[in-house]
Amino acid sequence: MDKRIDNLPLADTLAPGDQDGVAAAVRGAWQEGKPLYPIGGGTQLAYGARPAEPGVGLSLARLNRVIDYPARDLTITVEAGVTIAELAGRLAAERQRLPVDVPFPAQATVGGAVALNAAGPRQFRWGTLRDYVIGLRAVDGSGTAFSAGGRVVKNAAGYGLCRLLTGSLGTLGVIVQVTLMVKPMPQTSAFVACDVPDGDTAEKLLAGLIQTRTLPSAVELLAGPGFDLEGNPVGRVSNPSGSLDADAGRVGNPSHAMRLAVGLEGSAAEVDWMIAQLQEEWRQAGVTSTITLPGDQADPLWNRLTEFSCAGVGRVSNPSGSPDADAGRVGNPSHATRQGLPVPSSADGDSPLVVQIHVAPSVLVALMERLRELDPRASIQAHAGSGVVFARFPVEAPEAAAMVDQRLRPVVRSAGGSMVVLGLPQGAALGRESLFGPAPEGWAVMQSIQRQFDPKGILNRGRFLFAPPA
Amino acid sequence: MAASASPPLVKDLRRRLGEENVLSAPSELVVYECDGYTIEKNRPDAVVFPRSTEHVADVVRLCNRHKVPIVPRGAGTSLAGGCLPIGGGVVVMLTRMNRILEVDLRNRLAVVEAGVPNIQLGRALAGTGYHFAPDPSSQGASTIGGNVATNAGGPHTLKYGVTVNHVLGLEAVLGDGSILRLDPVANPAALDLLGVLVGSEGTLAVLTKIWVRLTPNPHDYRTLRAVFNTLDDATNAISDIIGAGIIPAAMELMDQGIVAAVEEAYHFGFPLDAEAIAVIELDGPTAGLDQQRQAVGEFCEKWHAREVLRADTPAQRDLLWKCRKMAVGAVGRLSPSYCIQDGVVPRTRLPHILRRIAEIGRKYGIRIVNVAHAGDGNVHPILLFDERDKEVVARVLAAGEELLEECIRCGGSVTAEHGIGVEKRAFMSRLFGEADLAAMAQVREAFNPGERLNPGKLLPDQNRVRRG
Repeated sequence: MDKRIDNLPLADTLAPGDQDGVAAAVRGAWQEGKPLYPIGGGTQLAYGARPAEPGVGLSLARLNRVIDYPARDLTITVEAGVTIAELAGRLAAERQRLPVDVPFPAQATVGGAVALNAAGPRQFRWGTLRDYVIGLRAVDGSGTAFSAGGRVVKNAAGYGLCRLLTGSLGTLGVIVQVTLMVKPMPQTSAFVACDVPDGDTAEKLLAGLIQTRTLPSAVELLAGPGFDLEGNPVGRVSNPSGSLDADAGRVGNPSHAMRLAVGLEGSAAEVDWMIAQLQEEWRQAGVTSTITLPGDQADPLWNRLTEFSCAGVGRVSNPSGSPDADAGRVGNPSHATRQGLPVPSSADGDSPLVVQIHVAPSVLVALMERLRELDPRASIQAHAGSGVVFARFPVEAPEAAAMVDQRLRPVVRSAGGSMVVLGLPQGAALGRESLFGPAPEGWAVMQSIQRQFDPKGILNRGRFLFAPPA
Repeated sequence: MAASASPPLVKDLRRRLGEENVLSAPSELVVYECDGYTIEKNRPDAVVFPRSTEHVADVVRLCNRHKVPIVPRGAGTSLAGGCLPIGGGVVVMLTRMNRILEVDLRNRLAVVEAGVPNIQLGRALAGTGYHFAPDPSSQGASTIGGNVATNAGGPHTLKYGVTVNHVLGLEAVLGDGSILRLDPVANPAALDLLGVLVGSEGTLAVLTKIWVRLTPNPHDYRTLRAVFNTLDDATNAISDIIGAGIIPAAMELMDQGIVAAVEEAYHFGFPLDAEAIAVIELDGPTAGLDQQRQAVGEFCEKWHAREVLRADTPAQRDLLWKCRKMAVGAVGRLSPSYCIQDGVVPRTRLPHILRRIAEIGRKYGIRIVNVAHAGDGNVHPILLFDERDKEVVARVLAAGEELLEECIRCGGSVTAEHGIGVEKRAFMSRLFGEADLAAMAQVREAFNPGERLNPGKLLPDQNRVRRG
């Protein structure tokens, strides 16, 4: 029976109960020179290239202890298998949080989120997970455990290995423990949104936000059928008098309409003031109507904007074959429905082509317009203040390679950006260069680092940037 | 002109950079034999002033050809000996690469050459509504390249982060003379080389150009200054402030010793029996600031502050800050020499570390006074001494070592913002295990094989062991 979970070919899966067990598992794989695929909550197993060589799945699920939480020091040390929801719960008890959005928090783990350098809409104000990892412990490709950073929020001793390992998809080491800097939980949040008829208006409002007196946590620009602006646009509409462009964003609609949504966080007094201030700034910029989602009404939209890129991405061919019952449960569209969230419109299907593009914020709107010209069915979410674009295309498997290589890459290249493929239509498979793009600047140094940390290339072999050993 | 240690190299450098950009006379080189860390000195073979990244790359290649080490240097304000030319070699001065190339508000970034002084960028941004957040105390002189190389901090890091949180892109010359250009547009399909280069103290690359993030200026401030009877009261008040979810822009703590020094020098009229004075500043949108100031004031009063002053005008704000800003200067008026240490502990261990520092001062007969960035547990003990007395210098070094050991014991680190340099290399093996240091040595090997750039810094010597 094929035990491939999402795209990982697993001959066997180990779930060590402690950090020494992880080191022993890696040493075992090292001795045999066999690939080893670390697995956290299994929410992102569809990400990356499809490794060819069967190997051992290494579940970190049992490394789930909170090691130390000195709340008044604003740090927490946890093992890699602690879920994001468990972390959030511990922090919330002290009215603190990690201000980084991670999709599917009930399954996603801290270690997995670090391996991917998770970041969502809040990155505009709060940065990415990399900005919060102040210490970590990992097991390198030879089975040797090492630590980096420490447990203090400010530390200039030694190289920034925490940052290097964050976002390395486990290719430099299996992350077993992480120390995070945390922040106070804001009292409340809100979204203020408006519809924009075209790209020029969107750019004008985004440029206007450079001098806003508010402090947005998120600046989101949404377009396409995934954001059904007619129906249930951004969670619930609290202001029925706010006029919506009824035609905007319908499937196949040539309209260039977009929606701009600004997320605000702080004390009740701060958020109230910022809502009024932003409405006034927009009024002066010619916006005739705004939609406001205050307090609890904003929460579903925060979630939606966090999970938009992943919903419906990833497949599980044999979930019961996995010893880790959680692996692969997510990524299933029904999961999002269970949480009561609007699933991205059926217009882009259960397994669309999903890409993540980074560009300078100043060219983001133009890029979004180009993407919609390429395929008017595209649903697009942008963390517009940070220059991050997620686009979902309801293309069929046979079209995926041409779409990525011949149509999207040239557009991204001419915009001076980078692009990675997050999800593919069922049945499509792309090579590393299609998924990740041309070799990044500093490629020789990266390869040298990877060879030093994992000389036999056993960690996530064939899944990330690095070619499997010949 | 006196003979240079390496005439053929100097000739090559002159040919490439021009006469005026190469120094090799011993009388000219003496300035470069140390930086802000004056305990060790060594004269370089030559000093060069490149004008471009290509110049730097050529210098690195020439030095490699002549097998001479390369030591990058900005304003030379390092307090850890990061610019000390151990074993001679060529000091690469970045100070003539001092152009601000672009201020791009739409993308909230600025592009600067490495030698731009921090304060010069601040001035260029005046009126834009934006600033470069890192503001180390050296900012009047120190360069942005130096700030990046040491991952510099300052008083505002708890709220605004350290330098690495404000660097978007880098251009740098690697150990083999190749040029690396890390674009300000993120790429998830890459390892974060930028995050490693920031804080690498010139041991991985010579930084030549930097894309920095610009941060919106706060629209308003509320500043308080509170006088506490005991250190515990002061740190408990700070703990309560953080516990209430308030993150001030700055929380500066001065202990009894530094207050006494400030009084001796300037006669502000501070009570000499108070154990601590805290300067606390809130910033952000006006809405909510008064509420926060109210809460901060109440926490101070709850912990028996005998005086809480609140500034209502910019002039009053400057007045409340004055004692803190003049503190180090006061020390300079009292003592022929002083050494500013840089330790960090989990914030809740501040009272403990400050008490231990006082004990260590008594034990070694060295006057030690403290300022601290209290929000992040970063303490700067200032050791007062006379460097002409070798016996005293030995005691200063021993006292410094003991207090840093105590920081490690508290779960902290031996530097929060100054860097390791040469000064703290010996501590690395106490702070990190063998495998941890091996991992760092591997990273250095990838960027700077053979340790051609800034040798003898950051990592202890014995750590060349490779795993696998």
